[in-house]
Amino acid sequence: MGKTSIVKIMERASGHPVKVGDRVWCNIDWATCRDFGGANAVLLFEKEMGKEAKVWDPDKLAFTFDLQAPAHSEKVATNQKIIREFCKRQGVKRVFDINHGIGQHVMLEAGMIKPGDVVLGTDSHMNLLGSVGAFATGVGNSDIAASYIAGKNWFRVPETMKIEVTGKFKKGVCMRDLLTHIIGDLGAGGMDFLAVEFTGETIENSSLNERITLCSMVTEMSGKVPLIMPNGEVLKWLVERAGPEVEKLAKELKADPDAEYCKVLHYDVTDLEPLASCPDAPDNVKPVREIAGTHVDQVHIGSCSNGRYEDIAAAHRVLMAGGGKVSPTVRTIITPSTTEVQLRCVEEGLAADFLKAGIVFTNPTCSLCTAEHYGAMPAGDVGCSTTNRNFIGKVGKGSHTYLMSPMTAMATAVKGCITDPRDILK
Amino acid sequence: MSEILKGRAWVFSDDVDTDLIYHNKYLAETDPKNMPQYAFEYYPGKENFAKEVKPGDFVVAGKNFGCGSSREHAVYCLEYAGVPCVLAETCSRIYYRNAINNGYPVLFVKGISEAIKEGKIKDGDQLEVELSTGTIRDVTNGNTFHGDAVSDLENDIMEAGGLMNYMKAKVGAK
Repeated sequence: MGKTSIVKIMERASGHPVKVGDRVWCNIDWATCRDFGGANAVLLFEKEMGKEAKVWDPDKLAFTFDLQAPAHSEKVATNQKIIREFCKRQGVKRVFDINHGIGQHVMLEAGMIKPGDVVLGTDSHMNLLGSVGAFATGVGNSDIAASYIAGKNWFRVPETMKIEVTGKFKKGVCMRDLLTHIIGDLGAGGMDFLAVEFTGETIENSSLNERITLCSMVTEMSGKVPLIMPNGEVLKWLVERAGPEVEKLAKELKADPDAEYCKVLHYDVTDLEPLASCPDAPDNVKPVREIAGTHVDQVHIGSCSNGRYEDIAAAHRVLMAGGGKVSPTVRTIITPSTTEVQLRCVEEGLAADFLKAGIVFTNPTCSLCTAEHYGAMPAGDVGCSTTNRNFIGKVGKGSHTYLMSPMTAMATAVKGCITDPRDILK
Repeated sequence: MSEILKGRAWVFSDDVDTDLIYHNKYLAETDPKNMPQYAFEYYPGKENFAKEVKPGDFVVAGKNFGCGSSREHAVYCLEYAGVPCVLAETCSRIYYRNAINNGYPVLFVKGISEAIKEGKIKDGDQLEVELSTGTIRDVTNGNTFHGDAVSDLENDIMEAGGLMNYMKAKVGAK
């Protein structure tokens, strides 16, 4: 019987054979924290181990200030300071301060992540790094603080679900719509405790930003880690960033053809249409055409799910096709995921078009993933967003959010009500 | 050990996400002792949980409890409120892991999701819970449920009082 990718990764990280259901201790390649959770982990480590205690390897720690960057309150500013000072004492160099962007994206761009890496982070969407074949998973502050002691942590070897995807997206439809479709199908707990391998021609031909979108949303089905071993253009990009070793790892860690899966699902995207997650849950899915015309107060494009350059460029195409202006009744905010993405938007003229269109084009940050940063919504308002969650009151008590693709979000911003992007992209 | 815990039930639905348990508005909090005051503030109909919960009360929920964020605040806010354990059909892996790592018991209770939907266990019911056997008796209406206690390594971590203690013992740290 062949092995799945996660079994191969855990054998490599633990140094011995493993099987599904085993509890294993894996070596940690990166123990990372955001500005959220970071101070909690640091304080817990020092409380339990003493102020003088050293982490196992400062070169395997990273901190990314993204949830509330720049700090919006004295409390957050203090937490960021606690992290900076800890890093100075410990000799941690990988501190991506407020001018970098969303952690996983920043680490990917910095060439820190390779297939098979075991990456922990205080971000439940850490697992989007499965888009390059890493075993990355979101954890709490205890997991991080405990990892600092010896560079190891415990895992249960998970069963793997395989999702094969075929077909080509039609105009106005994209990977976000596929993912929304899958969440509607499987529900919020549909992948609980599972690893998930995405395969098939649609995946093999997809770009990195599409893989990130797909992988970032596995958390919304309570999945442990999604895995796509790099190939094609993604492999080339990753080799340039993270080094030649990537190629060998991607090959070695690919699942065997006779690997055993707990479930195999097949989706064809040929006839897929634009979809949205309606209030107040990601798995409350409807076709955009069924909710078209719904009044909207705010549109947000960005986040770890859909904040890459290609996502923003897709929204830009809809904006220009729609006349280059957003509706004056809709507050529209675009947030690139990293400074690299932001700079490209500036250099290629997208940023100027956004500003002329009446859009707020912000620094890279998680922004609208919390109610405690800019873009918070008052009670009674309706928002559309490309973030990954629309839980009750998530960005403001009494407000409601529809989740959708960057194209649908921009079509909505242009028309002032929920709009199928195919009505603009004719 | 056959200690029987007694307390009232606070009953929740399936797919209770971490923003409902502990809203992102309060993520900058770093002291677990300050977290209970925010518990379930955003859960419709349970806004008064933090004010009214008594040490010993139980949180009873359906499937996939604690889905969403990795915030450990969502465990601390119940633990430090004196809720001795969570009784749920299942919980999300991220919540489960945070609970185990704090030595905080979560019992997986077969059939409780349906029982909640059918009104067989309600807010305010008096419960008796025996952690060692996983037996849950609803004294108010006479129903009995069975929860699976953790096994394997998770049990060892629980018995050590959480992951930090377990790791310290494992590497022989002071």
